[in-house]
Amino acid sequence: MSHCEELAGDILLCLDNALTGQELEDFRAHLAVCANCWERLEEELALSSLLRKARPLYLAPQPLRARVAAAAEQISARAPLSDRSGRTRMQKLSRWPGDFTRPALSWKLLAAITLVLILTLVFIPGALQRVRAKDYVEAATAIHRTYRDGTLPLQCRSRSSEVVTDWFAGKTSFHVQLPTSKFVPKGKTVYWLTGARLVSYKGKPAALVAYETPTEKISLLVASEKSVVVAGGEEVRSGNLTFHYQSEANFEVITWTNHGLAYALVSSLAGSPQHSCLVCHQNMADQKLVEH
Amino acid sequence: MDVIFPSGNRYILSQTLDEVFDGLYGYAMVLSRDPTEAEDLVQETCVRAIQAIENLRPDGNVKSWLFTILRNIWLNQLRQQRTAPKMVELDVDESSADIAVEPSKDPHALYVSKVEREQVREAIQQLSEEFREIIVLREYGELSYQELASVLGCPAGTVMSRLGRARSKLRSLLSGSLYTPDRQAKGAAE
Repeated sequence: MSHCEELAGDILLCLDNALTGQELEDFRAHLAVCANCWERLEEELALSSLLRKARPLYLAPQPLRARVAAAAEQISARAPLSDRSGRTRMQKLSRWPGDFTRPALSWKLLAAITLVLILTLVFIPGALQRVRAKDYVEAATAIHRTYRDGTLPLQCRSRSSEVVTDWFAGKTSFHVQLPTSKFVPKGKTVYWLTGARLVSYKGKPAALVAYETPTEKISLLVASEKSVVVAGGEEVRSGNLTFHYQSEANFEVITWTNHGLAYALVSSLAGSPQHSCLVCHQNMADQKLVEH
Repeated sequence: MDVIFPSGNRYILSQTLDEVFDGLYGYAMVLSRDPTEAEDLVQETCVRAIQAIENLRPDGNVKSWLFTILRNIWLNQLRQQRTAPKMVELDVDESSADIAVEPSKDPHALYVSKVEREQVREAIQQLSEEFREIIVLREYGELSYQELASVLGCPAGTVMSRLGRARSKLRSLLSGSLYTPDRQAKGAAE
């Protein structure tokens, strides 16, 4: 088998940005001297581009989505009442993809709950804000837990912020621009980018950016500020930004808004708000901002 | 007992269904080549997934699990059809399938996009069943090589070589629509 044939698999891996380290260096070195493989790579890139432009190849009909949602609702109705955990699951699923859930509670109980909610929202200033802010924090922790447990795999794996920024292009209603990768001396890396994926928040695509430290997985949920309220927790100001620190379901969550986007950083890094920032930002120029 | 159900699984199923619904339908279309049959396949897949969510392992991959369910339903149907008397051979008619469009594009871009999509669909339908399946799962289901190996029930090495051959065949079928920098340069020189 020729060297070019041996590298045929590497061309596919290269298309997916899955070649790293020495393998990537070897592949680049071969491309520099092999016109055939270079041409083959260009052809594969052109094919991938054309196939991507044809996405989605088929669009699922709306009536099918409705039928599936109705089926989920039927399964929910059939679930035995004694199986409370199962019923909760089915109710949650039956919300997909639209409003097909019928209330499982009696109308009297619902009316009472509604009245209490209205009174709470009317008489306690900012209650609605806090409820909406809590919703974003809960969503961010639920997403982080599933990512950390490995049940929410990354769709783009790369340590390059440029690659991840390019991957998000056109996938969300807002522009996701990660800070350009900066050189960090060997041995000084405290955390690093691992990749990204799309998630859904309030039915709209949101961005999940994943980072790691030697011991910890960290996730950053980014959504449009239009659908999010950021509030509550312990507030820490840094420059023009206000960070909200809170604990949720055994995770530490920091939320903030900037340039029309809402961010939620979730990790298990315990400690004071300032300390948790310094874990990652200890070598950066903004350290003084964080310390104050 | 709540512990048998890993926290976050119900969330991940609804998220994944949101994400892969078009991909599942595309895979069903490619397998069945019939919109009605494809809809039935997707609906049955979703129903079985919802019913079986309690049995999902905490480390299970929901996306490849959904595609595997769909594939198994299809293979079971094929087995049943083989044993039953064959009545009618249906023509492939995809006209009733929804055309995927992006509303933000201008009419010309929409037209170009539609033409390209039609070319891609036609080329994919000309592939053998084995190649068709792997291309659609990879490019439109966006499954990783490991996920492909799991759905197709073969080693990752086989996935890579089959995908390489499928792409090679597809490249030749779509050669008129592919523009590489090299070809563009040659065209400009001529």
